[in-house]
Amino acid sequence: MTWLIAAYAVVVVAVVGYGASLRPKRRALAEEIEQLKRPR
Amino acid sequence: MLRTAGIVLWKDLRIELRTRDAVSAALVFAILVLVIFNFALDVNTPEMRRLAAGFFWVAFAFAGTLSLNRSFALEKESGAGRALALAPVDPAGIFLGKCLANAVFLFVTQLVALPLFVIFFDVSIARVGALASSFALGSLAFAATGTLFSAIASNTRMRELLLPLLFLPLAVPALIAAVETTSFALGQTESASFWFRLLLVYDVVFVTASLLVFEYVLEE
Amino acid sequence: MARRKIAIFVDALLVVTMAVAMAMVFFYAPIESEMGIVQKIFYVHVPLAWNAFLGFAMVFFFSFRYLATRDHKWDARAQSAAEVGVLFTTLVLITGPIWAKPVWGIWWTWDARLTLTLVLWLIYMGYLMLRRYVESPERRAVLAAVVGVTGFIDVPLVYFAIRWWRTQHPQPVIAGGEGSGLDPRMSATLWVCVAAFTLLFFALYGRRLEIEALRAQAEALRDDADAAQAQGARS
Repeated sequence: MTWLIAAYAVVVVAVVGYGASLRPKRRALAEEIEQLKRPR
Repeated sequence: MLRTAGIVLWKDLRIELRTRDAVSAALVFAILVLVIFNFALDVNTPEMRRLAAGFFWVAFAFAGTLSLNRSFALEKESGAGRALALAPVDPAGIFLGKCLANAVFLFVTQLVALPLFVIFFDVSIARVGALASSFALGSLAFAATGTLFSAIASNTRMRELLLPLLFLPLAVPALIAAVETTSFALGQTESASFWFRLLLVYDVVFVTASLLVFEYVLEE
Repeated sequence: MARRKIAIFVDALLVVTMAVAMAMVFFYAPIESEMGIVQKIFYVHVPLAWNAFLGFAMVFFFSFRYLATRDHKWDARAQSAAEVGVLFTTLVLITGPIWAKPVWGIWWTWDARLTLTLVLWLIYMGYLMLRRYVESPERRAVLAAVVGVTGFIDVPLVYFAIRWWRTQHPQPVIAGGEGSGLDPRMSATLWVCVAAFTLLFFALYGRRLEIEALRAQAEALRDDADAAQAQGARS
């Protein structure tokens, strides 16, 4: 039973971890684009 | 294309005849690996003797990367690489010449290493023709994939790491087939027709594919 | 805007399908007689494997399109597919042994499917490492595309080689035959899981691709700003 949980847990952690790692990059880029678009 | 191939092949062979760099480097390394196997494992048992072909090709997979690494290193250092890329010659021809040269180097190295291999592992050559084919087709397989990835890797900062990293996984079918065909040639298995066919198919596929994509690799 | 709508739709569909899939795995699918409850790892292991190979096929297609058109959007797609693909491949290689250990007592046996997946993982890693070590974006795209195409061509050869090699030197089979006599409830659950994980693949792929699109946009704006500044300095 623990094996089953371990396997599913690894999958969930990896997927969520990867997805979460993308968020800050996206935010940073979106902010940078906003700044670049703003007229001087 | 064939004329370019011939010129490149002849050039590389002449350089090698003069310096004997590629063959000696690969030879020494291969022998070193075989000796290390002997220290790490007890290869004098019948079980190990059955695995002899495997040890041989492992040694050559690594020794081969050494000599393949060099195949474009020379051009990179002297700047001749750019000249080669800019020259109005067929990139496919350049690949074919280099590939055949590398195949010849590997094959020769294997022939020279053979007596030592036979002595270290106490095997006997049951089928000479099969052994020659196994070495020839295997060398061509490594040369085809290896030359392509050597050219690719020479564009990067980590050439020595990237060549084996790219080349070895793709060479897996050829490696398995080479080991099985050599085993057959040593009289240890009874048939290997599938493996000879696979090796031949591998050679055809990778030489053709590399000929087609090489122009992309060479452009600046 | 269309892209945003598609993304939201995929996300929503993913949540629903995954929820149904997990419900089916834990409440609907029967417990396998020989292996017990551990067998349920099968319902993530197989869909992950299927999508790992799908990802690689996508890398092949996108690489090919890039070489044909030199349009960077294909390169961005190839990179995104490769990253998500390698993630899924890694998970196949982790869930496989976690399943094998309690059932067969060993972590790994070089069985045909798992070995093929391992080689696939190595090719993917080579692809991603090459990308990391090439400086110029243009060269990176071209060289990566060459690896993407030749790597995929190799896969059938690897498959046949490993399969024949394993029939000659048989080992216990870890993943089990997928189609071999599957209880209809199990196969229904499997199909729903495959659908859910495929949606997951595309949801992650889309997010990764979006980052590349934003990066390109930011770079274009930066170039414009530099050009405008240079012009202002001149006048």
